[in-house]
Amino acid sequence: MRQGESVLQRRVTLGDLLETEAFTEVVKGFVELYRVGIKVFDEKGGKLADIKIGNGDFCGYVFSFPEGRRRCTATVGRVKDGPVALSHGARLPVLEADLVPASKGMVTVPCFTGLRYLIVPIVWEGDTLGRVVFGPFLPEDLADFPPGTLKEISDQLDLANLKALVEKVRRAPESTIARVLLHFGQLLQTMLFAGQKMFLTTQLHIEATLEQNRDLEERNRKLEDANLRLKELDRMKSAFLATVSHELRTPLTSIIGYSEMLAEGLAGPMNDEQVDYVRTIMEKGETLLKLISSILDISQIEAGKVRLNFEPMDALDLVNSSVTSVKPQATKKGVTLEAKVPRALAGQVLGDRDRLRQVVVNLLANALKFTSKGGKVTATVTEVMHQPDLNAQGYRIIIEDSGVGIAADQFDKIFQSFYQVDSSSTREYGGAGIGLAIVKSFVEGHGGVVRVASEVGHGSRFTLILPVQPSLQAQVSISPPVTNLQAPADDRF
Amino acid sequence: MHATVQLNHAQRELTVKIVYYGPGLSGKTTNLQLIHQRTLPDVRGRLLTVETHDDRTLFFDLLPVFFSTASGFKVKVKLFTVPGQVIHNATRRIVLQGADAVAFIADSRRSAAPENNAYWKNLVENMRENALDPAQVPVVIQYNKRDLPDTKTDAEIEETRKKGKEPVVGAIAIRGVGVLETLFAVLQVAFRSIDARAGLSKNIGLTEKEFLTQVFNNIDTSGTELEKLFPPKKAQGSATP
Repeated sequence: MRQGESVLQRRVTLGDLLETEAFTEVVKGFVELYRVGIKVFDEKGGKLADIKIGNGDFCGYVFSFPEGRRRCTATVGRVKDGPVALSHGARLPVLEADLVPASKGMVTVPCFTGLRYLIVPIVWEGDTLGRVVFGPFLPEDLADFPPGTLKEISDQLDLANLKALVEKVRRAPESTIARVLLHFGQLLQTMLFAGQKMFLTTQLHIEATLEQNRDLEERNRKLEDANLRLKELDRMKSAFLATVSHELRTPLTSIIGYSEMLAEGLAGPMNDEQVDYVRTIMEKGETLLKLISSILDISQIEAGKVRLNFEPMDALDLVNSSVTSVKPQATKKGVTLEAKVPRALAGQVLGDRDRLRQVVVNLLANALKFTSKGGKVTATVTEVMHQPDLNAQGYRIIIEDSGVGIAADQFDKIFQSFYQVDSSSTREYGGAGIGLAIVKSFVEGHGGVVRVASEVGHGSRFTLILPVQPSLQAQVSISPPVTNLQAPADDRF
Repeated sequence: MHATVQLNHAQRELTVKIVYYGPGLSGKTTNLQLIHQRTLPDVRGRLLTVETHDDRTLFFDLLPVFFSTASGFKVKVKLFTVPGQVIHNATRRIVLQGADAVAFIADSRRSAAPENNAYWKNLVENMRENALDPAQVPVVIQYNKRDLPDTKTDAEIEETRKKGKEPVVGAIAIRGVGVLETLFAVLQVAFRSIDARAGLSKNIGLTEKEFLTQVFNNIDTSGTELEKLFPPKKAQGSATP
């Protein structure tokens, strides 16, 4: 939950709405134009502007006498902190008739010297936020100045001098000064409105940004939690698969072994039908064993336990022998199987022969599985040349078929473990959907990449782009394919 | 802090916050503009429109209306709108903070139903985020733009009314129809809700009747359904007792 209250709920102060420097400039201009001092105070008596004009020498002279100082301080206190009401010596200002309804609570406070102050409250949206003090000025109706009462302050007081000094103070009718003050009040309202808008915009901008940050942080935290949970689940899944696969393989090896012994007549002769049954047990056992091995592979890859052994190897022989090993399946299914390899590859090729063979056999078996009778499967090896995808010397192994094909939006997903393009294909074609995940991991472990191109109904092409010299870094750790789920890298724009 | 009434006994002041909520362009600002036009200058502040720094996106509008009760309590009614643009949910939430009641301005066109629903859900979510209990903050629904083609029929609107407990008011805000009626309905439910929590009539001697009268006596109700209840004044500026 958010901390603190919005600025919209707080009561604003005069200081919130007025930018001191700019405001002082405006007040200064006003004072110079009308030659009357202006003081602006907020609700608590804090000073927002104080521009004096003309009265300095006069007031200074009066202030130099102790009694003058006492009375002066009292007057200033009355003007600054006393109520803006008809009490404590204040009275209604003398106004021209047209001004009365609009006088906005203005009061007149006379100074003991005969000078005068006008005070008007600053009202904003029904609240009094402070006051404007106008003066002192010399009222025109004051006929005899300075009044003789000023002699009370001190018998040392030089009335002639005071008379000279007061000449610098603005002399005007009270109603004129009141009009000027009301004019200032209007100007102030406009400034307050502009100031409020600016103040709220700025504050709201800050609040909205903080609020958005809070939102994002919360969302981040939730995602982090989810991510942690997923990682943990993933780790548990791998551990579970490894254990289960291992436990399955042991008895299965016995089943296959004993079936083989039975089929070869080691336990005595069997009739043809019996042999046929036992061979079926053996075959299905082998299929199951392969599946379990694949699961073990993928769980080890995901657990980061697989290390590749890079040695000099013959890539052409690798492909040829892989093709040979799936030949019986092709023949049985009535699919043409062809190997297109160059006579020799230039230079030495490093790689983990066993793993790569597993990759090629896997792809070939897949291709055969999804190609129907009369179709064609081709394995091609290209010459060694510069491979822009790797930015290094490399070669390609391409497995192409004329089978069912894969929709373009499935290209990324087929490399995820246990993913099948659609679950119905599991029933139709068998398999657990982990072959391609293994293919991708092993090829990437060599520092290579797998590309897939396909058209639904017309076949698929898997291209392995492999470097001649796999980097040692890649050998150290094979990144499990599941990481692709966490960081979809391709969408930059 | 959130659900508490803004009742300040020391300053003898009550602040009532009403938020106009709803999809973008449903007519929230139009509602406030009309209320502003119809309210006597003595009791209203300026209609303030606050925009973001960087673009011309609306933050909110604010219209204050204020008066003093017979017992000398100062009452301020603050009407806010929230921006409809989706990107500014944070602002919507801030403006909604501490609301005493909400006027939900819906677009009555059939095609706008999904938008209305989305913003309704957003309102409930944001209330919850602000620790406002949707059960405690009353809402009034205004079906605006009743004059446009594709608008729902009265029967369809009646159906909507039956689905919840919120009062429903039809409106054509741009022509001033239903705007003051909505304001009346939302102020009424706001008062009742605050009264139930803070005992306004008992503690500060403010009744629902006085509250509504103080507001609508200062608003030009001519041509609206409120005309009989609060006859518009011919002369301006007469002080309330």
